[in-house]
Order: sequence, then structure tokens, then C-alpha cells
Amino acid sequence: MAAAAASRFLRRAIPAAPIRRLSTSAAVAAETSLSAPSGEDEARVIEMKGVKISGRPLYLDMQATTPVDPRVLDAMIPFYLSRYGNPHSRTHLYGWESEAAVEAARARVAALVAANPKEIFFTSGATESNNISVKGLMRFHRARKRHVIATQTEHKCVLDSCRHLQQEGFEVTYLPVRPDGLVDLDLLADSIRPDTGLVSVMAVNNEIGVVQPLEEIGRICREKGVVFHTDAAQALGKIPIDVEKMGIGLMSLSGHKIYGPKGVGALYVRRRPRVRIEPQMSGGGQERGIRSGTVPTPLVVGMGAACEIAMKEMEYDSRRVSALQDRLLNGIRARLDGVVVNGSLEHRYPGNLNISFAYVEGESLLMGLKEVAVSSGSACTSASLEPSYVLRALGVDEDMAHTSIRFGIGRFTTEAEIDKAVELTVRQVEKLREMSPLYEMVKEGIDIKSIQWAQH
Amino acid sequence: MMAVASVPSRAEVLSLLRSLLQTARKFSDYNIREYAKRRTVDGFRENKELCDPSAIATAFADGTSQLELVKRQAAVYSLYAPSVKSVMEAKGF
Repeated sequence: MAAAAASRFLRRAIPAAPIRRLSTSAAVAAETSLSAPSGEDEARVIEMKGVKISGRPLYLDMQATTPVDPRVLDAMIPFYLSRYGNPHSRTHLYGWESEAAVEAARARVAALVAANPKEIFFTSGATESNNISVKGLMRFHRARKRHVIATQTEHKCVLDSCRHLQQEGFEVTYLPVRPDGLVDLDLLADSIRPDTGLVSVMAVNNEIGVVQPLEEIGRICREKGVVFHTDAAQALGKIPIDVEKMGIGLMSLSGHKIYGPKGVGALYVRRRPRVRIEPQMSGGGQERGIRSGTVPTPLVVGMGAACEIAMKEMEYDSRRVSALQDRLLNGIRARLDGVVVNGSLEHRYPGNLNISFAYVEGESLLMGLKEVAVSSGSACTSASLEPSYVLRALGVDEDMAHTSIRFGIGRFTTEAEIDKAVELTVRQVEKLREMSPLYEMVKEGIDIKSIQWAQH
Repeated sequence: MMAVASVPSRAEVLSLLRSLLQTARKFSDYNIREYAKRRTVDGFRENKELCDPSAIATAFADGTSQLELVKRQAAVYSLYAPSVKSVMEAKGF
């Protein structure tokens, strides 16, 4: 009886999939009606997608993207105004000044990861860099190397590139991770075969924030003569990266995760010993043939500025972000039970706190937290109601995987925002638990796992 | 990096701090404004113990260029400020 009520409740709690409308930006603007009541004192209200909010939500989704640092914007603006030259133009000042700016940016990106500027290639983002790395390397060596290793918790674009390779006849090992999200080094070493061409392990996971033991992975790969690729989009500027010390052969970087602009990223390709890849883009041979297409000077300048700032501010930022993470976690734990942190707490980038709240339906929680911009996992998969594949790879139970929320803390997050987020989250979780038959049953001492669910 | 200017006086340093804080307050964006104020105070605190004259001069020159930047960006932000503010600034919050 109680179980039937519970399942009815759960079905009701799952909101209908949002209707996606194709619309121009003008239509979007029209949809967003900003009602401004008369009188200055009255708070304005935002209304969008049927949600009414009394202000712009406090932003705790730094893994999806970060706000642009005003110092980055300041560096970019001149290249949108008078310095509009094509950096590949060789015959006039416009081209020369753009080229100089691009090269200065390249040096800044290189400095942040202890690389040579000649090893940095600008791309459209980490997704493109991951595609070039995985597919480009294997296609170049297709005659002798037939096998790729990637962890199960890689970003979608790495996994999808691997799937593509499988269709071309390559073999892929999707390496399981331990329950704390970290790679099992012995298992990794055992999985490497003579025809393995590439090992791809994400430096900092986008969903759970765990930091992989890059140095150890790099050492294993070096010993076995396999190229080590790491997706460092979430790691750049947040944890120290040294391509030499970590034995990295290929690395994907992104601009908009480090307070830079969207639409720009970089690929690190080792020169000594040289890592060779087949380019995906055919064209004018820019970026030394690795990535044809005009280099977007303003974006690249922004990414360079973001890297320079990250280098100066890394220590200051990480001290703050750690303190804010403690504040958030302690604040929630002090007032709620059944709170589980997904992924290792010790080997973790503190700006990413992925928490599951037992006996609460995740989507309902997110809908109730409309004043807090958070996500249940990665932005790429947040539209689906499927539990995250990353959490499943960790062995998180289905019910807990459904209740996860990722809090992303960054450079511009304030203590007051954290306190507000704690307050709103606790209030919402308590409210949902109050009307949850599951929580009631647990309080009565019924083991939920013993319930036989109908229609499942 | 750049030609090191003469060592600033205590009054000049304090005046720079005051100007930075005053300009930071003009940011229309809640998060940027709070960051600019916080980073200014923390930056000056970090450099409080500097005694090497050239280091002091470099830090001062850096702060002066940051002031120019903050002035420019506070203006840019105000040009494009959204009509609805952060919930952190809304009343009753």
C-alpha cells in the first residue's frame, strides 16, 4: 500500500520534459517578459519558461561555464574595435598586430601548463581538442595501433570519439573507476596492450570534481610507450599542471571554464618525443596544419589573459574556494541527514561539490531551487532524466544518483551566496522530505531496498 | 617589466586604495563588485610587509593600472547592466 503510494508520488514528482521551441533571439527576448511594477522600491521580477524569480539567480554552476573576468574582457575589447586584423595577414599592420597578440596569448597558455608555446594549438574548445586528440592520434597510427583506453567517467565527447573509432574497427577499453571516482592504476597498467595507442583520462572530472593521479598515470604510459591524453578543461588554472612532470602527450584545454570567453580552447601536443596526429579540418593550414581556419584573435587574446590571471591568482582563488566548499558542506551537513558527497573528498577540486540527498527526487529539488543556478550533473546531459553515467560508473545506487546536485564554486562566489544556497537547499530538501512517503517509511524503520516496485 | 617609477609615499598608496575601493563600488554586477572590493583589500594586505623599494614601486604601478582597468570595466558593465539584479540584492533576501 505504502509502496504504491510512493511510486505514484515519484511519478508525479518527475516533471514533464520541457517543450523546446525553435526561436530566434528576438522571440526569446519577447518570451522573457520583464515586468517592472511602478515605484522604484518594488523588486522586479523575471519570468522565463514559466518560472518567476525575484532576481537573477545566484550562480553556482561553474563547471558548466564561468563568468568572464572583467580583466579578460578588458584585454579582448580592443580586438573587437580597431584591431580587427586577420592574424594570418602578412602584408599589413592589422595582420601583424593581431599575430603578435595571438602569439603572446599562446605563450601565456603555455606558461600555465609549463609547455613550450610551439606545443599549443588554438581550437574552438575542449570538445574539438578531445576529438582531434582521440581520433587524430589513432587515425595517424592506424597501421600499428588498434587499441584505446578511456575511463568510463570521461566527458561525452571523448566517449563519443571512442565510439566513432570502434565503428572504424579500433578496439576501446572503457576502464572502470573505483567507487571514489579514481582510476585503479594497476588495472590501467594491466589494460595496456602492445597495440594500445592512447590512454585518455580526464584530469578533473566535470561532474564530480575528482582529481586523477596524473603523475602516476603519466609514468605508466611513459614506461609502456603509450601516449597519455588528458582532458584538462576543468583542471586548467585550478590545480597546477606540468606537462613534463605529468608525462602528458596530448591535453585539451578550454577558455570558458577559466573565466575566459566561450568558443575558444587549446590543444597541447608534445614535441619531444613528438606526438603526431591527423588533423580533422582541411583548409588554409593555420595552426601549423593541426587546425585550419582563421584564429579568432579576440577569443584567443581572452583565453591568454584568462591564463595569465589564473597563474597569478591560483593560490588566492583556491584558498577561497576551499573555504567556501567547507562552508557549504558543513552548512548542509549541520542541518540535514542523508547527505552523501559523490566522489573522493580528499582527491578533489574543491570548487566542485556533487552531493546526493537521500529520499529526495533530484529534478524536484532543482525545480524548487530556482533562485540558485545549479545543475544535476553535466550541462550536456542535464536535459535528460536519466541518472548520470558518471555516478553510475562510481557504483552509486540508482536512487541516490537521481538526487544529485552539483554545486560549482568559483572566483566570484561570495560567502553570502553560499549561506543563501545552504538556506534554500535545506529548506527545499526538508519540504520535499516532509511530503515524501519514502522518507516517512525510512523514519518508520522500513528498508526501502526491500520494497517490490510495481511496473519497474 | 616596465620602467620602475619612484617609490610612492604612504599617502599615495592609501589614496590608490581609496580610489580602487570607490571605483569597485561602481560595478553594477553584484559578484564582480564584491570581488573587486575583496581583491583590492586582500591585495593591499598581502603587500603590507613589502620593504624592497623596487617591489613597492612595481606593486604600486600594478595597482595604478588596475585602477584604470576597473574604471573602464565599471563603465562597460553599467552600459549593459541587466534591468533585474541578483537575488542577493533583492529585498527580503
